Amino acid sequence: MSSRPTEMPGVAGADEARSERASSVRYVALRLVQILPTLFLILLVAFVLLQMAPGDLVQVMVGESGGATPEYVARLRQTFGLDEPLYVQFLNYALNVVSGDLGFSFRNNMPVLQLIASRLPATLLLAVTALIVSVVLGLAGGAVAATSRGKWPDHLVSLVALFVYATPVFLCGVGLILLFAVALPWFPIGGFADLSGERGAWQAFVDVAAHLALPAFTLGTAYAAIYVRLTRAAMLEVQGQDFVRTARAKGVAPARIVWRHTLRNALLPLVTVIGMQTGSMLGGAILVETVFSWPGLGRLAFEALQQRDYNLLAGLILCSGALVVLINLLVDLVYTLLDPRVRIR
Amino acid sequence: MTQTEGSAVATPDRPTRSRQHGFLARIRGVAVWPLRLKLGLVVLLVEVLAAVLASHLYPGDPFAMVEIPFLKPGEMSGYPLGTDLMGRDIAAQLLHGARFSLLVGLAATLIATVVGVTIGLLSGYFGGVIDHSLMRLTELFQVIPHFLLAITLVSILGATLGNIIIAIGITSWPMIARLVRAETLILRELDYVKISAVMGAGTVRVIVTHILPNALPPVVVAASLLTASAVLMECGLAFLGLSDVSRVSWGGMIGAAREALLDAPYMTLIPGAAIVLTVMALSLIGDGLNQLLNPRGHA
Amino acid sequence: MSHQKIDTYRRQLLLGTVAGLAWSQIAPATVANAASGEDAKQPVRGGTLVGLSLLAGEPQVLTAAFNQSGVNAYISSKIFDGLVRFGVDSVPQPELAESWSISDDGKTLQFNLRQGVKWHDGTPFTSADVAFTYQEVWLKLHPRGRSIFAAVSALETPDAHTLVFKLNSPSGVIFSALNSGELQILPRHLYEGTDIVRNPWNLKPVGTGPFRFKEWERGSRIVLERNPDYWDTGKPYLDQFVLRIIPDTTARYAAFDTDAVQYGVLSPLAFNDVERARKNPKLAVEFQGYDWLSSRVALEFNLRRKTLADVRVRRAVAHAIDLDAMARIAARGLATPGTSPVLSSLKRFYDGDVPKYPFDPKLAEQLLDEAGFPRDGEGRRFAITVDWLPFGGQYQRYAEFIVQSLKAVGITAQIRGQDLPQFLKRVYTDYDFDITITHLAGYGDPQLGAERLYWSKSITQGIPWSNASRYSSQEMDGIIESAHVAATEAIRVEAYKKLQVLAMTDLPSFTLLENRHFTIHSRKLHGLNLGSAGCYDSLKDAWLEA
Repeated sequence: MSSRPTEMPGVAGADEARSERASSVRYVALRLVQILPTLFLILLVAFVLLQMAPGDLVQVMVGESGGATPEYVARLRQTFGLDEPLYVQFLNYALNVVSGDLGFSFRNNMPVLQLIASRLPATLLLAVTALIVSVVLGLAGGAVAATSRGKWPDHLVSLVALFVYATPVFLCGVGLILLFAVALPWFPIGGFADLSGERGAWQAFVDVAAHLALPAFTLGTAYAAIYVRLTRAAMLEVQGQDFVRTARAKGVAPARIVWRHTLRNALLPLVTVIGMQTGSMLGGAILVETVFSWPGLGRLAFEALQQRDYNLLAGLILCSGALVVLINLLVDLVYTLLDPRVRIR
Repeated sequence: MTQTEGSAVATPDRPTRSRQHGFLARIRGVAVWPLRLKLGLVVLLVEVLAAVLASHLYPGDPFAMVEIPFLKPGEMSGYPLGTDLMGRDIAAQLLHGARFSLLVGLAATLIATVVGVTIGLLSGYFGGVIDHSLMRLTELFQVIPHFLLAITLVSILGATLGNIIIAIGITSWPMIARLVRAETLILRELDYVKISAVMGAGTVRVIVTHILPNALPPVVVAASLLTASAVLMECGLAFLGLSDVSRVSWGGMIGAAREALLDAPYMTLIPGAAIVLTVMALSLIGDGLNQLLNPRGHA
Repeated sequence: MSHQKIDTYRRQLLLGTVAGLAWSQIAPATVANAASGEDAKQPVRGGTLVGLSLLAGEPQVLTAAFNQSGVNAYISSKIFDGLVRFGVDSVPQPELAESWSISDDGKTLQFNLRQGVKWHDGTPFTSADVAFTYQEVWLKLHPRGRSIFAAVSALETPDAHTLVFKLNSPSGVIFSALNSGELQILPRHLYEGTDIVRNPWNLKPVGTGPFRFKEWERGSRIVLERNPDYWDTGKPYLDQFVLRIIPDTTARYAAFDTDAVQYGVLSPLAFNDVERARKNPKLAVEFQGYDWLSSRVALEFNLRRKTLADVRVRRAVAHAIDLDAMARIAARGLATPGTSPVLSSLKRFYDGDVPKYPFDPKLAEQLLDEAGFPRDGEGRRFAITVDWLPFGGQYQRYAEFIVQSLKAVGITAQIRGQDLPQFLKRVYTDYDFDITITHLAGYGDPQLGAERLYWSKSITQGIPWSNASRYSSQEMDGIIESAHVAATEAIRVEAYKKLQVLAMTDLPSFTLLENRHFTIHSRKLHGLNLGSAGCYDSLKDAWLEA
């Protein structure tokens, strides 16, 4: 895939000349407006998909409770509004969403927004930490590989990256648990935190950090493998370019060249990819969250699906879609900071 | 699990690439093939062979319970890889499973490629409203987390071989579409393409003869990586219990063996190794093809 | 006291011959302690017990008063008391009901409620709470409420601490259901006039039990704390009970192994890890506490399928399956072969003298030939699909075992996977199946657990765990309906024995395995209730070694 900045999702009319200098504010506003139809489409897709799914929430709830009378089932359907015609259900839902209400999760007996909000912090924490892990490992590995091109560190880094990439993320996770939580009991086996109630900020931080380490590492390395390849390729590309050669000719220290010129340039494609992979990471997190009992949105989505909790799942799809779109917007902005040559329209 | 997009990006800009040489010209001559390409192909070939010969080597039902459960590899002759939870021959399952996993990978990629190439070509060549609406569609599929979408589709359609292929294919095409669109945008501005259009060649003809062949090399690279990611995704679905239980698959084997991971890690590690090997082979092939087809992008 | 003695005694009581006697007089012997030799140890106050959630995940709400999923009952039984608590063989012991009596004709049940019990918010608990819950929750929302109280004509509350059930006919089933796992009482002052299913108190429950709700970290854990004002003074011993949600199988074992959790009920580990737990010096495996639930794996036939409509084919299927091997291999010894729709652990109702279908492939083939389904050129008779309940991988193993068994007698079977909503819809709404492998609970009484599979009135489309095979027989209906109006408990029990014989003769479904559910707990944990419904016990006697 091209690493041209304009190829990022969310940018329309990509390859048109970026001529005019527009204010960032106007640009952001425009992008935000452009998001709306996408979000509406997501909403519609989510709704239609879920309506196609065989089985319904009431039956699942009754199934879990070990049976019911037909009257009770009818009553529940009525309470949940599932006895209305489909288009009415969609209209009701869409109207609620517009007014900021994502509906009620009947399975969890809680408003969807509240439920998502309660699990969003864990998700963001995992995603951001995993991102940092992947970028740091990816850049470091890529830099090592590129600077020792063709020699053994290059081969070693490439081989490890290849192996990590090829290993299913849940196997990686289970392996880490067996190694670093059971055999060597350095980390907890899963969950978000052990302590509860009265605790100091520092204790709470250490507690959560210990729980975060393994899942973030698992999710992070999966992506680091990709970033290693990416960084290596980008650095090699830049190294051949004139300005680096000039710098080298001028006698700038090699470490400085690596940092100032090549690595910085290698960041550009990386940032693009990160934007595009937000969605992928949210999806991949389902497996990591399952293995490490991490209370994130991915697991919630999977459970919502398994229970046909339509409102919740639609809300989650909508929110994750919005999150991806917003992060891509952010990526565009970061791009302009990293590369002054790129101007936003 | 959907790690493809990134790997594909390992092909950065190729600004000044010779357009005259077609796709075929570039892959001519095994002698010049990079080592990693050869390596990957050999591994994959062995696996394909295993899949094809499965029915000859193990003619019976791979689900048949043939011996006592939990036989370790090498513990009893005739069962080189041991038996699983239910006393089924792991070697037989591994070979039969190769079919399923490779089939899922290849077929899902085929779907993604056909859909992606079509949409990319249309979008890039015609531009305007077509481009705009197709890109909106592509965006939509990129914005919804792929794995979540795949899970949703498999749950809705039912976990059968065909549906798993469709679900993975449907979630994977956008990246191909963007790739092809970007290529098309460049190609359609090239002089010989313009001239050919001016000289009265039909639109279809221009697309098929001039644009498609030149847009293909990066697609081939991306497709091999997509296949790798499809194999991984099938495995991830199986981990969540969404595999076609009526057929043997590596993912399904892992899904079942997971319950005995502590007692019998080999039941997980054997199909796991098969998956790792396959994905590594496919990545090597992708890498090698990239090197072969886009020499500038690589060291 | 021997089981039989209790049995007789209980029957006498229900027949009204010992009316007026409180169960408490015979109660003490019936709560057994955990493993032997521990009785000598003195309970210690304090500590946090961490329990493992069920594989199914997080509870929906924190009360089982209307939503009876296993995990709801598991957690909420710590927060809510029942009117009674079950000892061994489901003998009721006083809890919120201090004593009770049955009139001579068996048509009046009087419960005397404990004085001075308070809800967690300080409001006094009275008979009005029970009456409200009975009327608005048990009868209207509880999945089995109407069946349990079918014989009740009125519930009267002459004073704040007396409940009187007026019955149309004597009804033994009520006593099978008064524990906190099955019938929880909700506080009237927080629920009256609200939409009960959506009442916010469902998520921060106020009960009368030994533990109070503290916090619920979604997707992670639920924390309960000691109720200092609990009526059973001095109890509970634990400071906290925490329920941790861990979905991954391997991580669940690791959690026990590393002492991150110390207690888990309803088979909390993958079957393969039980042997490992048994060998682990830190852990104990306990099989008691599940008699009331009496959980079984059953095979149900779709009687509207041409092939399966013939009873000879169904019997052939039964003969084709080696249940011993199935229990040994597919269930790893954590189940025993089934014989009847009523489990042998429900001793009062179980009838061992029913038609049996021992493993006999030859006989199976003979029956299939007789039924007009000979093997064709390729050795196949006919093809069917086997659907299995998607509760973890265990049922898939069972289905795979059945497929192989059927193949051996010439029936080509294929398994089909799907998620729970799809399975429920296929089996109970669309009736689009041939054979299902499913789970059924007995709920301590055939009236609740068994008859629903055989009564023509429980052919209720769309309702899970109803009569999906659509078996309908006048004779069977007659037996079931006679049980509902039986003049004495002995007659009722007799009717359910007849049900078992007829069910095993007509064979619209049959029990493959009696599950041996297990509890895993740390050896530091003592004082578990090993009575019939121990898995849903309040843990008020539980304590941790310091």
